[in-house]
Amino acid sequence: MREMIKMVVVLVILSSFSGGLLAAVRNSTKDKIELQQLTFVKGPAIKSILDGASNDPIVDRFNIEYEGGTASFYVGVFDGQPDRVAFESAGKGFGGDLGLMVGVDIKADKIIGVGVTTHSETPGIGSKAKTDPSFTRQFEGMDLIDSFQVKTDGGQVDAISGATITSRGVAFGVTQAGALYKALKPQIEAKLKEFK
Amino acid sequence: MNSQKKLIVSHAPFLHNGSKISERHLHIIYAALPAILLGGLFRFGIPAIGVVCLSVSTAMLWELIMNRAMQRPVSIGDGNAALIGLLFAMLLPATAPWWLVITGTFVAIVIGKQIFGGIGGNAFNPVALSIAILMVSWKDFFDFNAMLVNYDPDFIMAYPLAALKNFGVSGIEKYSIGDFLVGRQSGGIGATFGIGLILGGAYLMIRGFIRWEISLAYLAGVFVTAQLFNLIDPVHYADPFFHIFTGYTLIGAFFLATEDSSSPVNFIPMLIYGAAGGLMTVLIRNIGAYIDGTVLAILVINLIHPLLDKIRPKAMGKVV
Amino acid sequence: MAKSIAQEFTKGLWEEIPPFRLVLGLCPVLAVTKTVENGIGMGLATTFVLVCSNILVSSLRKIIPGKVRIACFIIIIATFVTVVELVMQAFTYPLFLKLGIFIPLIVVNCIVLGRSEAFAFKNGIVRSLADGLGIGIGFTLALASLGAVRELFGNGTLTIWETPIQIFGPSFQPFTFMVEAPGAFVCLGLMLCLMNLVGSK
Repeated sequence: MREMIKMVVVLVILSSFSGGLLAAVRNSTKDKIELQQLTFVKGPAIKSILDGASNDPIVDRFNIEYEGGTASFYVGVFDGQPDRVAFESAGKGFGGDLGLMVGVDIKADKIIGVGVTTHSETPGIGSKAKTDPSFTRQFEGMDLIDSFQVKTDGGQVDAISGATITSRGVAFGVTQAGALYKALKPQIEAKLKEFK
Repeated sequence: MNSQKKLIVSHAPFLHNGSKISERHLHIIYAALPAILLGGLFRFGIPAIGVVCLSVSTAMLWELIMNRAMQRPVSIGDGNAALIGLLFAMLLPATAPWWLVITGTFVAIVIGKQIFGGIGGNAFNPVALSIAILMVSWKDFFDFNAMLVNYDPDFIMAYPLAALKNFGVSGIEKYSIGDFLVGRQSGGIGATFGIGLILGGAYLMIRGFIRWEISLAYLAGVFVTAQLFNLIDPVHYADPFFHIFTGYTLIGAFFLATEDSSSPVNFIPMLIYGAAGGLMTVLIRNIGAYIDGTVLAILVINLIHPLLDKIRPKAMGKVV
Repeated sequence: MAKSIAQEFTKGLWEEIPPFRLVLGLCPVLAVTKTVENGIGMGLATTFVLVCSNILVSSLRKIIPGKVRIACFIIIIATFVTVVELVMQAFTYPLFLKLGIFIPLIVVNCIVLGRSEAFAFKNGIVRSLADGLGIGIGFTLALASLGAVRELFGNGTLTIWETPIQIFGPSFQPFTFMVEAPGAFVCLGLMLCLMNLVGSK
């Protein structure tokens, strides 16, 4: 009996010590982690898509809630007009989920840029989607059509050599982004008006 | 159980034809020579000679290095390393760069053979293993269209299997079996000259250096599978003769699938082994992502070979 | 014969260097060593967990009842792993992204639990510290060397801190097989073979 009680007491003390330590560490790192995520994951993609904006898109962001989730939109001000937004999308790659950032020109309904934020593709092959801009640059200036596909599937974009699945994932993500954008366009425009 | 086993003398399967290992390898090399000399060196010229010489010499060098490193008797004399080097070169395009050849023979000899304990211990055919690893790493160097772009002979230089993959049967109408047989096609150094390979294979089978069951079952497997595909959809899938005389099929049937330690020894297993190889080859070519499935098919049948060896005659007097 | 504290430390560097001599903790060894940087990062994270859990287990060894010792070890180890995970997220985010799931998986790394069970539970704090540090640094070295070989041949580069350094120049054709999973096994096997070759002399 004594042994039983000792076991319980030791385990309880250890667990509560562990819980307390973790809570403390989490509290002190929470803000930093959020900032890190914004700057490292989405930051570079946003910056390259909205290159030349006169504001800081990471600061000027707004959320729109819709059926199935919330989307964050990063606003880029060009020539005094906040008419370009970047937002997130996702596709399935060879090694797992592919996070994408897609930029759209609200006035022309055209894609202004696509960037890969997170991925777990093979280094040197699928990772080219992120490191080699010549692939994602293909999307620039395209209209937001219903379906983007790689050329081997009868679509519009050249796949990265050796990484057809990754390329398909990116194309699928852009397709998704187009659909989301079309569904939320009225709300985006309303928010942008407020922004002025 | 174990003590019982020791006393049983089983009658089969002991395969022995009275020749020494070195003599066997020498004869296999002889048999490969017509395909290399007439099909490869004559057709592709100086670069092909360079690739073959480099491949054979580095294969022997790796063997020597591994012998020294593992403190074993030097085994270059048995000709196995030279044979591996030669077969490896036969599968390469004539313009393969020097480092590709050296890495390839390293993979074949060190990872494919010596790590498993040298000759007779390898689970996979070293040549097929090496080609498969290199194909995964450097796809571009096994693209015969791009590699042989500087040759301009009097026949169609596009790689037949690539044409089939990209354009279906309509893309291969211009090819003729006769051209394939006399080596008027694109491909590996020693893999283009059909008659040479068949003559070499026939010589080896008649002399008993390779088992006719494996080779013929392999070709039959290719033929039957390709015929079935062709019957179902003649627009997409080429006829069986096309499959037999292009790519690595012939060299695979006569020189790769029959490699000693990675192939079975009994009659029925040999037939299954060969036929499964033929089936896989055509499946990979027709449905899979790769242009030529021969080396991969051979690795797959190497994998099932231990299982096939379980099918064997009952030992005499053994009580179950 | 009791070893000196210095010996406890140095045994982790050669005699009992984890992946090569003990052949433990192979999961991260094979999975994250695509680049040198990943290898070092993973190794340092594991080292931190090893040292902290060794110290704590050894200082609590008189209090922890024998019957629930494994549960206690796991609580201690899991706590430190989560701390590492949070700290890495806060300060070295890009590295955290690359290592991903393998940071939480340090919890089930047999080296960490193995050292707690086999060493720290029976030895004093200073010895346990030396042991954890030695094994951890050995693990880091092993990961870094494996990562270096794989990255060098598989990608032609060496990544120490964020930026890959081209070693063979732009005309190098990467041996992609090495950064794939089967290449990891082959590479580990060849390195084990080399170590045995050197060790046997």
